[in-house]
Amino acid sequence: MRIVAVFINLFFFLLLPPFLEGVMRKITARVQSRQGPPLYQPYLDLLKLLRKDNLVSAPNWAFRLAPLLALASILTAVVILPLHGQENFLSQKADLMTLIYLLTLSGFSILIGALASGNPFGSVGASREMMTIIMLEPVLAMTIILGAVRGGTMSLSGALQGVASTRSLSYFLMLAVYLLALQAFVSRQPFDIPEAEVEILEGPYVEYSGPNYALFRYTLNIKRMFYAWLLVNGFLSFLRPASFLLDLLLQAVMIILLFVLISVVGATHPRFRIDQAIKYYAFLIILALAAVGLGVKGL
Amino acid sequence: MSKKELLISLLKNKLGADFLAEETASPGRLFVDIKKEALRPVVQLLLEQGGRYQVGVAYDARKNGQGFALLHTFAFDREALLVAVRTFAPEDNPEFDSITPVVPGAGWSEREYRDLLGLNFKGHPNLKRLVLSDDWPEGIYPLRQDVPHDLMPPSADEMAFRLDQAPAGTSVVPFGPFHSSLHEPAHFSVYVDGEDIKGCEYRGFMTHRGIEKLGQTELTYNDVPFVAERICGICGSVHSANYAQSVEAAAGLKISRRAEFIRVVMLELERLHSHLLWLGVAGHLIGFDTVFMQAWRIREKIMWLAESLTGNRKTYGMIIIGGVRRNITSEKAEDIRKVLQEVEKETLALEKAIVKDKTIHKRTRGVGYLSKEETIKWNLVGPVARARGLDIDVRRDHPYAAYDELEFDVPVTDSGDVWGTLVVRLKEIYEAIKIIRQSLDKLAKLPESEPLALELEGPIPAGQQGLSVVEAPRGEAVHYVLTGDDNRPERWRVRAPTYPNLQAVPQMLLNNKLADFPIIVGSIDPCISCTDRVMLVELRENRARKVFRQELEKMSRQVRFGR
Repeated sequence: MRIVAVFINLFFFLLLPPFLEGVMRKITARVQSRQGPPLYQPYLDLLKLLRKDNLVSAPNWAFRLAPLLALASILTAVVILPLHGQENFLSQKADLMTLIYLLTLSGFSILIGALASGNPFGSVGASREMMTIIMLEPVLAMTIILGAVRGGTMSLSGALQGVASTRSLSYFLMLAVYLLALQAFVSRQPFDIPEAEVEILEGPYVEYSGPNYALFRYTLNIKRMFYAWLLVNGFLSFLRPASFLLDLLLQAVMIILLFVLISVVGATHPRFRIDQAIKYYAFLIILALAAVGLGVKGL
Repeated sequence: MSKKELLISLLKNKLGADFLAEETASPGRLFVDIKKEALRPVVQLLLEQGGRYQVGVAYDARKNGQGFALLHTFAFDREALLVAVRTFAPEDNPEFDSITPVVPGAGWSEREYRDLLGLNFKGHPNLKRLVLSDDWPEGIYPLRQDVPHDLMPPSADEMAFRLDQAPAGTSVVPFGPFHSSLHEPAHFSVYVDGEDIKGCEYRGFMTHRGIEKLGQTELTYNDVPFVAERICGICGSVHSANYAQSVEAAAGLKISRRAEFIRVVMLELERLHSHLLWLGVAGHLIGFDTVFMQAWRIREKIMWLAESLTGNRKTYGMIIIGGVRRNITSEKAEDIRKVLQEVEKETLALEKAIVKDKTIHKRTRGVGYLSKEETIKWNLVGPVARARGLDIDVRRDHPYAAYDELEFDVPVTDSGDVWGTLVVRLKEIYEAIKIIRQSLDKLAKLPESEPLALELEGPIPAGQQGLSVVEAPRGEAVHYVLTGDDNRPERWRVRAPTYPNLQAVPQMLLNNKLADFPIIVGSIDPCISCTDRVMLVELRENRARKVFRQELEKMSRQVRFGR
């Protein structure tokens, strides 16, 4: 069963993310008085990209390796996640730090690819991406650390359980911080700054096309779903039904609802500048620190 | 004493024998001929008298034995007067004093005539090529009369832009020649230190069409309005109306009142669609695509309306010399009123959403700031100038068509930034609606028998000058026509509002963030095709020929990398 859980995780995180992108595109379109593409469009987009020739515009191994590394690390990160509150075969060997490392590794792969491309827009995108990682990683880490503090364990399932073990002041504060950061975690407006199409032409991905780009797109989609998953399985884990299938279904529904929210916020905001966003992130870090402090005090 | 008389007497006193001739016949215009030695003092005097520099016009006058002619035009906005100062240089030494040190906005005009006519400007601070591409052979000046309009010198094999060196401590981010925030080819080489913009060099004039040369060599007076309309895909009527007005002025033709009101309606409908278009693009440029979609949805109604009025969504083909081609009947007037009401209501709703959005304020306030002094120094026009406290609008200051009879406000703010431009443009939407409603009322009262277009009686005499201004959605557009033989203009000069506004963009960009580049450049609504109208030929081909659609598609499929 524990080995099967690994594969269930994998399928869950491979199948759902493009659909979530479809939801985002549909909702955005409706807000903009448009029809929008069908919900399955992102699957077709990925297939189309995968069928194209691989155009390598920068002749070095880092440029080619980066998309593979990005997807591999995000996939590794999601397979170790506990399923239905239970550790699976792989997460026995992993803990919180493994998860944070893997997430960061996938972010840095994007940076490496951008810098290896040698494109000036790529470098600007990479520097923005780097600033974003530096400022947002602590918020994510604090969330998990709060769980670890309250659960008294570094194991993944224990820490996730710990986040919502008691609905006290620190829980609500951290939930608020997480919700405020969610839009930035999924890099949608107003926080799609590293990609900013009209400014730096999708920044880090500017030189990527075809299958390489498909891998990055997939990575981004899975990452977005992960952040919504964390909200559902961390902060809302007390809602978990006893039945396994019902749990998976409820998770999917809640994640979709979160993406509807993300789309509406994204469609009604212009993009921040990086300096404005950083001030916002700094404010979130301070609040997150305060929440951990309260958690340590047992509040 | 009127301003016109005052200026003449001042000039005569100051110049003495250097003052050659004046021509005062047409109302609101003053054409003066002077000796070229007196150019700098005259410009100095006109500036002191409150003149606003508009544009330089030069032409080849060698067939009359006059060498090369150069004009500078100035607007006196409070006195409804346009002044053109003309001077000549001999063929063997085509050199003029540069006025760029006094009027920085003249820099481009002078560089243009160095490229196109081979004139030399003594004391110009930066005589780089402006219009001609870097591989154009030396010594061929396309606007000279002995150069055919379809000349195509062979292109060089390897030729890159000769861009300036980036200042120390900065790196270059190339915006262009193709970039998704620029909707037409243009190249901004932006010097950045981190995310801060420390400077920028502009290299444009890549969309070569040679429209002015075409108007002077191949077309006749009556052909030009339709070509002029194609100078710009957004404000085409501005150019056809402007050209028609300058020819009518040169020929002394007064068109019917009905035609004038119909021109106003078309120009203001065009302003409506253009402002809504810009509003959408501005939203898109700061990453707010919902504003883009909603503004363009509202704009679509105008496009449908225009189609029902003229047969075309854009490029209306309404304006000809002597009047207009189609009437606006009372039924059509009803349609217009209905659409205007919807547009007004929906724009109000959109405005409310925009003004309430805090992030838009954050992204536009203080961005692209330029002081009022700088604005005057660079002769900026249109909403860009009105957002910086400059109260100018040629519809009110130099009334043309039927604007003298219409009441409207000219919105002005003094925030000096992109937000101000946005506010001005939004308010102008309501003013345009107001103007169209008034025009329709007045049209209904005019006798139906009034002719839509007048015929010219006999040929237009050669050597007449016509100068006309029209307030395009982006600002003042200037057309100058010198009538010639063979039923076509001897010289036709188009100055689109982007021409002065673009020259000040490097100033606006300074010390802003890289992320603000798109919206700052977008805030002047740059019309590259209007600005790049002059050049001649497509360089890759060795001979002139037309390229048809099928062939174009074939070419685009064949050519994958390089040539």
